[in-house]
Amino acid sequence: MNASHQNIFLTKLEAALSDVPGALRNTRFSASDAKNDGDIETLDRIRQRTKKERLALLDRMAAESREINLNVLPVTDVDAAGIRIQQLVKEKQPEQGTEKHVVAWQHSLVKSLNLKNRFKEISVPIYFTEFSNPEEKTDLKERILHAFMGITSADFCIADSATMVLKTHPGQARSVSLAPPIHVAVISLEQILADLTELYALLRKDLTHDSAGLTRCMTFITGPSKTADIEATMVYGVHGPREVYIYVITG
Amino acid sequence: MGLVFSHRFCHIRSVFAHTLNGSLIVSYSVTLFIQCIVDAIYPEVGEAMVRLFSKLGVAMAYPEDQTCCGQPAFNSGFRIEAKKAARRFIEIFESAETIVCPSGSCVNMVRNHYPELFKNEPPWQDRAHRVAAKTFEFSEFLVDVLKRKDVGASFDGKVTYHESCHLLRGIGVSRQPRTLIANVKNIEFIEMPDADRCCGFGGAFSVKYADISTAILSDKIQSIEATGADVVVGCDMGCLMNIQGMLSKKGSSVRVMHLAELLAR
Amino acid sequence: MKHIATEDYKTQAKTAVRNRVLQGALAGLQERLGKGTALAYQNLPEGPDLRYKAHDIRMHAIHNLDILLKQLTEKIRQRGGHVFFAESGPAAAAYCLNVARKHDVKLVVKGKSMVTEEIRLNNALINDGIEVYETDLGEYIIQLAGENPSHILAPAIHKTREDIGRLFTEKLNIPYTDDPPTLTQAARKALREKFFAADMGISGCNIACAETGHITVVSNEGNIRMASTLPKIHMVFMGMERIVDSLEDHNILLRMLCRGASAQKLATYVSNIAGPALDDHMDGPEEFHLVILDNGRSKILADKDFREMLCCVRCGACLNVCPVYRKIGGHAYGFAYSGPVGAVVTPLLIGINRARHLCQGEPLCGACRDICPINIDLPRMLLELRWKLANGDSAWQVHRENNLEKMTHQLWSMIIQNRKIYDVTLSAARFLQKLFPRQDKMISRMPPPLNGWTDSRHMKPLAQTPFSKKWKQRQSSKKQ
Repeated sequence: MNASHQNIFLTKLEAALSDVPGALRNTRFSASDAKNDGDIETLDRIRQRTKKERLALLDRMAAESREINLNVLPVTDVDAAGIRIQQLVKEKQPEQGTEKHVVAWQHSLVKSLNLKNRFKEISVPIYFTEFSNPEEKTDLKERILHAFMGITSADFCIADSATMVLKTHPGQARSVSLAPPIHVAVISLEQILADLTELYALLRKDLTHDSAGLTRCMTFITGPSKTADIEATMVYGVHGPREVYIYVITG
Repeated sequence: MGLVFSHRFCHIRSVFAHTLNGSLIVSYSVTLFIQCIVDAIYPEVGEAMVRLFSKLGVAMAYPEDQTCCGQPAFNSGFRIEAKKAARRFIEIFESAETIVCPSGSCVNMVRNHYPELFKNEPPWQDRAHRVAAKTFEFSEFLVDVLKRKDVGASFDGKVTYHESCHLLRGIGVSRQPRTLIANVKNIEFIEMPDADRCCGFGGAFSVKYADISTAILSDKIQSIEATGADVVVGCDMGCLMNIQGMLSKKGSSVRVMHLAELLAR
Repeated sequence: MKHIATEDYKTQAKTAVRNRVLQGALAGLQERLGKGTALAYQNLPEGPDLRYKAHDIRMHAIHNLDILLKQLTEKIRQRGGHVFFAESGPAAAAYCLNVARKHDVKLVVKGKSMVTEEIRLNNALINDGIEVYETDLGEYIIQLAGENPSHILAPAIHKTREDIGRLFTEKLNIPYTDDPPTLTQAARKALREKFFAADMGISGCNIACAETGHITVVSNEGNIRMASTLPKIHMVFMGMERIVDSLEDHNILLRMLCRGASAQKLATYVSNIAGPALDDHMDGPEEFHLVILDNGRSKILADKDFREMLCCVRCGACLNVCPVYRKIGGHAYGFAYSGPVGAVVTPLLIGINRARHLCQGEPLCGACRDICPINIDLPRMLLELRWKLANGDSAWQVHRENNLEKMTHQLWSMIIQNRKIYDVTLSAARFLQKLFPRQDKMISRMPPPLNGWTDSRHMKPLAQTPFSKKWKQRQSSKKQ
């Protein structure tokens, strides 16, 4: 039944376009990775970037971040990051009540911060979003929705717009970067790309080489949530996080 | 030839004499396309254009049969009627070498809409293209064709400039009038906030949707008054007629002036 | 709240221009966004001419719409998503209700979607006993107030903070405040409950990509992420034209959309969704539905003159520069789409005669075309619509709107074809105008239908001697 809806619909469109010359009736997409010479150049440029160039991108990202109320914070190593995050957890207060707990991605970089122990020192529980049975999944969902901070990494960052790119993988819940009022992300310097064009070149590579492709949901996050719907007055912290911190490990 | 003429025609004598005596070489030859609004309501704008061209040594022809380019009908959707005006315009003007018009919106009509009007009639469309290619707006002609940025004008007073929509966005003319104004001696030019925002004329719109037109115009008047200028200059009498109308009703002392009038002083 | 009120354009406009609060809000919006967008194009790495490329990309997609939609559909289905082709609004709503009933849906949370407003989806759900919550703050406010949105991006721009304060006190039972952050927090709190409890999340689609088979939705607030992540079912409503071919095209369109909409490089959240969540994912919808809507778009597609309108991505940039919208706001347009985009799309969707004021009630200044991130020639299409109204059109079922106006123009065309007749007519007019009262050499009052002019302006009278006569006098005296 659905098939016939589709057939009728698409046939109608085809008929509507019957005056379009054949030369214009062609599509550009194809799964060929040899399609784009520009891509090869771009991918090489990314790969051959020097540390100095990467640090320049970080500076650019930091400059961009200021206008959008985003905190981009360079740190030398995972220990420094872990200490800073512990400090943040200590200082910040939850939206309501006094109970504080944190949720975090099951991710190698996040794990390397040794947060479980650090947070134990200050009596704040941390829950990693990986489950092995439905009850755990349900429990974790509750934790995420009432956490005061969510900690993630990212797949990439875009310097030009200070954007984080987060794909969906097991153990890396989407709502960790969405529900808690504070979002903390930890990335490494090498993950910073210059602009969307570089990202899209990598994505095209993913399309052909990675069965997950873009994954089920790839989110671009540029700063904290905001609105100007009331008398055009900018307010931060609407449905998404109110504060966002990106720690960049420069090594 | 330098015989006795009555005082009434002495300015014509001077043009004639200049040309004859060779003290001013004829630098160009144009055919005048005088907008219907200028013809019927603001003939002084046409006269100013003639005065200025004479001074610059531009010889002029004026096809006396011309009436209207058809824009009002076209904008209201009456294309059959607009085509009649368009065909007539093409027939009258296509033998001219260079056509000059003191209205950006009329030139926009000829340049951008005539070819569209005749999209199903290739022979007429060709003729339309050819006429369009040699039709220029007044300031565009002075700066881009005659290559004159300074015409030796002078004006003592504060002046601001309104950028008419079809002039600016239709035929891309903005640098030219501003250059000409800037080179007027003694002038004090003040930029209007939102100089390029519509004044609310839009032809029949100004009457059919008068409340909206008035509201848009009120904002424009506010911008003009904010400059403290004595005169608002423009290249389209449709706009200036609209602006003048509200200034007059308000009892304002601000005057409107077509660029030709400013430059012919 | 009427669904379609395009006939009320003039009366609504008259009310709107007298509303000082609205005037201030609209002026502020245009100052900030209209000018910001123009600057954002200048700052593009490729330069402002990227708009022309965006136009090519969108026209290419429209020319291949059937092929691209097929590709998108196959990919989504491969991943376990559902795709439904809805010929009309009721068909789309019926599909949504079927899915809702099947899953015993009681509560729906919605991200802002123009298409769902167009088809009155909320009404269909509410009539079936389902609670629907708009979650975009502006949409939430007007939902509570029982009003229609007045701008694509800022639906509650016409309301003051005091209005909203009173509204929230009444509807949310909170102590009165008019502080925007406090009001926003109240809305956040109220809507969080709904997000957590919702059975279904509904969103629109800004731009889909055929190459990858994903749909993209953007927001600054995070409400669309919430609606597409927490509830078990996510349903997307997509105008059939909202698709591009390749990832490369998507890159450009996404950047142009964000700049056109709010002068941003990127919206805070861009969700690129490819289907339902996998079993080993912590969250994300178990079921994903894409409803692709025609509702009159295929007719626009079939018309070479109007096909270009399908390139529009509803960013709202044109609203932010339009001198008419600036004065009359969104409600006067009487349908889901306001501003210049509404002036073209509404007649094409609901009837050209019915929406005649929308396509006639503007001066054709062209600011919309210049700010459109896709360089869509809106004035050209407005002129085409006016042609249909003046002459009638069988394909679009347009009857000639005004016979008197037609006859007047026919008379005019006869007059301008003969200079002698023209001169006689001018002489007659010069005589008649003596009947009109004067003030300071200007006509101060004219009778209908010209009284619209003199209600607010004086009129320069016809000159005693037109230019043509002066020229003739000059020539004849030269010959003497």
